[in-house]
Amino acid sequence: MSKGTKERAAARRIVEQQRAAEKRRAVTVWTSIAVVAVLLIAGVVGYGLYSSQKDDTASAATPPGAVDDGTAFASGDGPVTIDIYEDFMCPVCHEFETSSGATLKQLVTDKKVTVRYHPIAILDRYSNGTKYSTRAAAAAAAAGAAGKFAEYHQVLFDNQPEENSNGLDDAKLIDLGKSVGLTDAAFGDAVNSGKYESWATKVTETASAKGVTGTPTVLVNGRQLQNPTPAELEKAVG
Amino acid sequence: MARLGLAAVWIVAGGLKVTDLAASGRAVNAYQLMPYSAAQVVGAIQPFLEVALGLLLLVGLAVRLSAGISAVLLVIFMAGIVSAWARGLAIDCGCFSKGGALGAGQTPEYAWELARDTGFLVLAGILLWRPRTRVSMDGLLMGVAR
Repeated sequence: MSKGTKERAAARRIVEQQRAAEKRRAVTVWTSIAVVAVLLIAGVVGYGLYSSQKDDTASAATPPGAVDDGTAFASGDGPVTIDIYEDFMCPVCHEFETSSGATLKQLVTDKKVTVRYHPIAILDRYSNGTKYSTRAAAAAAAAGAAGKFAEYHQVLFDNQPEENSNGLDDAKLIDLGKSVGLTDAAFGDAVNSGKYESWATKVTETASAKGVTGTPTVLVNGRQLQNPTPAELEKAVG
Repeated sequence: MARLGLAAVWIVAGGLKVTDLAASGRAVNAYQLMPYSAAQVVGAIQPFLEVALGLLLLVGLAVRLSAGISAVLLVIFMAGIVSAWARGLAIDCGCFSKGGALGAGQTPEYAWELARDTGFLVLAGILLWRPRTRVSMDGLLMGVAR
C-alpha cells in the first residue's frame, strides 16, 4: 500500500466522521424542534379546551331567586350573613349539617342571620363519572327556582350517596323532589335536561376564585370559621 | 428502562387530570401561589404537557431535552409542595389526581410526595446523563447507537 492511498483513506475516514457528526447535529436540532412543537401544540389544545369550557359557564342560566350575584340561595333575612359552601357528595358536609343544621335553623327563626348556601361541585371525581356533585347542585338550583331550596338541600344530605358510588341517578333526584313537594314537570325537566349544570360549574368557579378550596367552608360576615361547630357558629354570630 | 418509567409517570399523571380540566385548575389554585384565573390556565395546560412529554419519552424523541424539561417541571412541582408545606396548607398535591384541599381529618403526605418526586427526578437525571437507550426514535434517526 503506497503512502498516497493511506492518506486518502485517512482523509475519507475524517470526511465520513464529519458527515456523521453533522447528521447527528441535524437530527438533534430537528428532534428538539419537534419536541418544542409537540409541547406547544399540547399547550394550545389545553388552552383551547379551557376557553371553550369557560364560555359554557359564561352563558349559564341563573335560577330565579338566587342571591349573591346569582350564586347562592338564602334562608332567613337576619343582619348577620353566613355563607356556606357545600358539595352534596362531601361526607364532612353531611356531618356539619347533622351537627349544626338545627342551630342554623334556630338562628334563622330568631331572625339573627341570613344563611346563603352555595352548592358547589368539587367532588365529581367520586361518582364514577356520573358527576353526582354537579347534578345534585343543579337539581338543588332547580328546587331553588321553585322556592324549595332549603327543603331539597335537606333531603339531599339525608340521602347522601357513598363516595365512589354512582351517586343518585336523575330519577331518584326527581323522586326526592316530589317528597318535598316539587311535583310539577318543570323540576323534573330541569333535572333531566341538566338545565342548571353549567350554573353549578359557575358557582364552583366563583367560589374557587374567592379562595374556597374545600367543603364545607363556612364564613360568618366574610370571616371563615376554621372549625364550624354549633358553639363556634353562635359565638361568631354573637 | 428509566425512559419508559418516566414516560409512564407523565402519561398516568397527565391522563388522570385531562378528563376534568376545571378540577385540575382548582388543584393548582389550592396551592394559593397565583390568582385563580392564572391557576385555571395552568391547570388546563399542564395535563396536556404532561401527556405530551410522556409520549415523547415513550417514543424516545430528543430524550435528553425531554428529560431536561421533565426535571425542570419536577423541580417546580417539588417547590410548590415545599411551599405548601411551609405555609401549613392542607392540600393534596394533585400529582396523580385532581387534588385540592383535604377535608378535615385528612393529613397531607408531603414527605412521601416529595420522596416520590425525588425518585422521578433521579429517573430524569439518569436520562440526562445517558440519553441513548434501546428502541428509540433518536437511535433510529442517528443510525446505530454507539
